[in-house]
Amino acid sequence: MPPYKMWEIMERANTGPFCEDDDFLYKIFMPKMKDVIEKYGIKYDPDTPVPADDDLADRVWQAAVEFFLEVGVLNVDTHRRIMVDESELKEALYHAPGRYLVGAGKDTRLWEQRGVEGAKPPFCIFSPDITCDEEMFLPMSIAYIQEPLADGVCAPILEESMGLKIKSGTPTEMAGVVEHAMTLRQAAKLAGRPGLFLVAVGTAQSDTGQIAVSNDEWGVRHTDGRLIGILTELKIDNELLNKIAHCMQFGCSIGCLSGAIYGGYAGRAEGTAILEVAYHLVGLTIYQANFQNSFPFHLHFTSNSGREMLWLVSMKYQALSRNSRLLSTSNGFLNAGPGTEMVLYEAAAHGLASVVSGGHLWEAAPTHNKYRNYATPLEARMACEVGHAVARQGMTRAQANEIVNQLLAKYEDHIADAPKGKPFQECYDVRTARPSPWYLDMYKKVKDEIAAMGVEFPY
Amino acid sequence: MAMLEKLVEAVQEGEEREAVATAGKAIQEGIPVDEIIEALTAGMREIGDRFARMEIFLPEMMLAAQAMQAVMRELEPEIQKSATPTEKKGTVVIGTVEGDMHEIGKDIVITLLQVQGFDVHDLGADVNALDFVRKAEEVHADIIGASALMSTTMPGQREIIEFLKEKGVREKYHVILGGAPVTREWVKECGADSWGENAGVAVEILERVMAERRM
Repeated sequence: MPPYKMWEIMERANTGPFCEDDDFLYKIFMPKMKDVIEKYGIKYDPDTPVPADDDLADRVWQAAVEFFLEVGVLNVDTHRRIMVDESELKEALYHAPGRYLVGAGKDTRLWEQRGVEGAKPPFCIFSPDITCDEEMFLPMSIAYIQEPLADGVCAPILEESMGLKIKSGTPTEMAGVVEHAMTLRQAAKLAGRPGLFLVAVGTAQSDTGQIAVSNDEWGVRHTDGRLIGILTELKIDNELLNKIAHCMQFGCSIGCLSGAIYGGYAGRAEGTAILEVAYHLVGLTIYQANFQNSFPFHLHFTSNSGREMLWLVSMKYQALSRNSRLLSTSNGFLNAGPGTEMVLYEAAAHGLASVVSGGHLWEAAPTHNKYRNYATPLEARMACEVGHAVARQGMTRAQANEIVNQLLAKYEDHIADAPKGKPFQECYDVRTARPSPWYLDMYKKVKDEIAAMGVEFPY
Repeated sequence: MAMLEKLVEAVQEGEEREAVATAGKAIQEGIPVDEIIEALTAGMREIGDRFARMEIFLPEMMLAAQAMQAVMRELEPEIQKSATPTEKKGTVVIGTVEGDMHEIGKDIVITLLQVQGFDVHDLGADVNALDFVRKAEEVHADIIGASALMSTTMPGQREIIEFLKEKGVREKYHVILGGAPVTREWVKECGADSWGENAGVAVEILERVMAERRM
């Protein structure tokens, strides 16, 4: 764990340089981003969604370091920029252990840093990333938990509790987050993985909601993890700082959740890659995070399986893996929905590009991460099976680039009109939490196609 | 007309200083202010279209919008003198609902609305539902726009509709909802008037709504 600097962060959040919101974006963030893209010669190449240019990866890292040190993070409640200096960043990077034990008992897992083209398998977190019907929460959670490659699980998000619509910051949220935490714990026990690393609870948007579920008996344990988000872009508020302070002292793993927007304030692929690396430095120094969950997404499509998105995902992980020991899961956001071949090709491409570049996996949010119940474990399984396979066979970035190009050819023309697919309850037998035969057949067909492209699945 | 083309180009490129200086020269040359505004409006519509086609992205659009606003401030004395004052397309009160700090989607909609000539009152993020209603009443708005990025903050959108009904003013406003988790079904369930599926669609809908209201 990096040095504990919570009090210093608290002080800087109140005493750092004064800055208004608009000035932060227009006078500091955007000009500095333009500056570092030019200074370090960062250039997107559409022909290589998985680039193999070590020097470019290192320049992305250097650009991100300079950008982060000069821009800092704006606390929108105090209008102060939280700044970190170079020696503090180096200190934090030096102390980052690069490996953690997570989960408990027989379900404990070692999570270790991976290298570019590294043979260590990725740490895989299975997560639907969407909301679900209240009655679907338990079977959906069990379906994800029983996936053999799942080193950790994050459950769907509840919209209702006891039939009441959950509203953040109200008693309905307090009720909903407890229901979420207890039911997920129950699902893990039922599935025979009681100590599984659970990242929870997504239903809690507020700080009070997160604090309410910290309980080693029935809720989120200190051997579990929490995600704490950041505001777009490079902004934070006191509520997020409250969550960090609580999780630090409770003792659970902290995951900094960042989603730089392609086409947003950082501009195109180059700036989005730099910003997402910079977010990992925010996670390390300001969030005191054990890990990052990174979901850069396209402004128009809310996905990251397109060509330019895969390039920046790959670039980001190469930069991080070559220059730090930071742990990071690559969170797939896919265009098509469950029960379609397209979503499986997308998942494979995202898993492949991420793992060959040094990333771990957090899979997957289908259907633009938009529709209730529209996610199943099979999309995540595809990404993670591909990720394990390519690590095991020692696939190079050049080989990966060829295969990703073949996969893109199957879907990239349909990103704007991707099929919505079917909800969980039509793709799975809800009673047994097992996939329907037709979807399993589709999965096997697509897996065979990907194997023919050169991915050596162990089974 | 070369001067107007130069002005529009400067605005589209986000060159604020050059745009303001060129606008001053255009006035000095005697170009009527309504012609200048017409050219600028067409130029900004093109910027909006290029954004929708993904030829440009947020930084370029925001800089163009800032340049446009600077030029409009420069032209304000001439607009005041003009015999045919420019008419706002409509008045919009917009914000992100309570408990939700996400602003980028709302900010894109605001930028697109402003460049199309709407009068926009931005309430910011984490806005209580009643504050939407109060502001709309205060500024005699035509439209209320509410954004939510989290499923657990979406109920704040429905509350706006409920408060409008409680106060007996529901029919005065067109209510449009947007944000990543918002769907057509949710909009219908809330009893809102339209779904801003994305920023471009939202602006198209509101332009159509205001055109119908003026008929």
